[in-house]
Amino acid sequence: MSDNAPSLLIVDDELHVRESLSQWFREDGYAVAAAASGREALAMLGRRPFDVVISDIKMPGMDGLELQRRIREIAPDVAVILITAYASVATAVRALKEGAYDYLVKPFDPEELSRVVAKACEKIRLQQENAALRERLAGTVPELVTGRSRAMQELIALVDQVAATDATVLIRGESGTGKELVARRIHAASPRVFGPLVTVNCGALPEGVLESELFGHEKGAFTGAVARRQGKLELADGGTLFLDEIGEIPLKVQVELLRALEDHKITRVGGTEEITVDFRVICATNRDLEKAVEEGQFRSDLYYRINVFEIRIPPLRERPEDIMVLAEHYRRKFAAAMGRRVTGFSPAARNLLEHYDWPGNVRELVNAVERAMVVCTEGEIQPEHLPIHRMRGAEEASEDLSLQGMERRHIEKVLRLSGFNVSQAARTLGIDRVTLYNKMRKYGIERP
Amino acid sequence: MRIGAVPPPVLRELRTALVVATEHPVWVGDRELDPAPSFHPRRRQYAAERLMRELLAPPPPADVKRIGIADVDLFLDLFTHVFGSAQLGGAVAVASLHRLDPRFAGEPADTARTMSRLIREVLHELGHTLGLVHCRVAGCAMHPSHRPEQVDIKTTGYCRLCAERVGTPILDI
Repeated sequence: MSDNAPSLLIVDDELHVRESLSQWFREDGYAVAAAASGREALAMLGRRPFDVVISDIKMPGMDGLELQRRIREIAPDVAVILITAYASVATAVRALKEGAYDYLVKPFDPEELSRVVAKACEKIRLQQENAALRERLAGTVPELVTGRSRAMQELIALVDQVAATDATVLIRGESGTGKELVARRIHAASPRVFGPLVTVNCGALPEGVLESELFGHEKGAFTGAVARRQGKLELADGGTLFLDEIGEIPLKVQVELLRALEDHKITRVGGTEEITVDFRVICATNRDLEKAVEEGQFRSDLYYRINVFEIRIPPLRERPEDIMVLAEHYRRKFAAAMGRRVTGFSPAARNLLEHYDWPGNVRELVNAVERAMVVCTEGEIQPEHLPIHRMRGAEEASEDLSLQGMERRHIEKVLRLSGFNVSQAARTLGIDRVTLYNKMRKYGIERP
Repeated sequence: MRIGAVPPPVLRELRTALVVATEHPVWVGDRELDPAPSFHPRRRQYAAERLMRELLAPPPPADVKRIGIADVDLFLDLFTHVFGSAQLGGAVAVASLHRLDPRFAGEPADTARTMSRLIREVLHELGHTLGLVHCRVAGCAMHPSHRPEQVDIKTTGYCRLCAERVGTPILDI
């Protein structure tokens, strides 16, 4: 019998019925278990999953209809087939209205019984496949990780190189730089693309919840644990696990996470069973992890475990040539979504966008463009449509708008951002060092 | 072993076919089992489980599978009918000619077809005693069949996977 055989739970208070049906379905290749009562069936469902429950209706204590209602509360994906020796149209209608997959009367035609159970199992399989495909599709939709700047071109090349491997990746960057987009691109370009991409925002959850979120829990593990729940590490099996804000994980959880990453095994909270898991790990942080290790807030062994391959996403202010590429992309996207006939950005609006520092990075840029699209119904987006026009950077934009003026301010900005590293500034500007030195002389720009 | 009025030539022909199919020794028992105690008056059928219990008395030697061939209509509790039944991984099985005979479906008598179906059904139940479950390979003797015409499309042998599991040679597939 295959490990992937559908699993059935036979529920009947009569032993010979349980034995007879169990034998029948074992011969058909199913994994079969049996329970003598509705209460026992619920206990078994709490311990392990079943695809189909075949239950007699007439049982002492909890009858089959009550059992079916309870199953729908705790395991709505399980198909329940009710069986009875007493044919009653009213009961059959009630059972089906309350969600039974089918209703069969004893004695069964062997072909019909096999057909009904096979169809129920196929339905469960298709539901699971559908859910898995939706999850996978979310990870494969090509998200925007692009840019004209050399830094982004190099980053994209790096991403595509590492994506082909199973190496653990640590993505670093300020808030809003697109770390999750990079993680999605890595997953989409990897051999695990058709596996799940499971994301955990480690900074958003309190310690107790984070543990359960990562490792899952067994029924009754704590107050409120009314049913078994798979954790994100288990759900990521076969795919990619993205741990965002990994620097925020509490020390206690860091220990358990390290063990899971090294042993490829997890145990649910409140459980004892070791579950083998196989996933690729991508982490992201905007924290200084090295400093956190020095200060004892982040374990050094976990740091070395996740820092196998590092990708740094530069902040938007360090790659101003990417600003309009991104702004135009999101303008088109929001124009289509909102049905707006907004054709582009005015020169003044472009100037404003390119000279703003973008402390919130790409996320702030996207929000600004979206806001502009709401207030600008048609034509070109003007500076007053952008929420940043009252902020720092706007003053610069209100000065000399000649090409030379704009070039001078741009060179000053890039030099400032590079710490007056002329070689780096030249690379960012896309010109050679000699040309940059000439322009610095031309505009009277001196090293401070 | 005969259960009821099964003509002896049926068992002889069945034996020959099974020897060819399994390349194992097959012999025909002398005993004849009376199905009457297994009769269910309301259903007017014979309880296959009870017949198998009687086949076990006395238990056959180790590594021997005892198969009763009946001419009566069999049922398992909970089911309208069965062509046969077996202990999964056990020592005994039973198969019946009754519903495999085309006359049961109102068709003309066809001895050859009845025999062909019986051979396939016995191979199927034998497979269960050897631990095999139903097989998805169409044509394999272990493919499930709930109607006689489904038995017709099977071959007199096991598919490669089933044959490897029970250590019999691959035949007719």
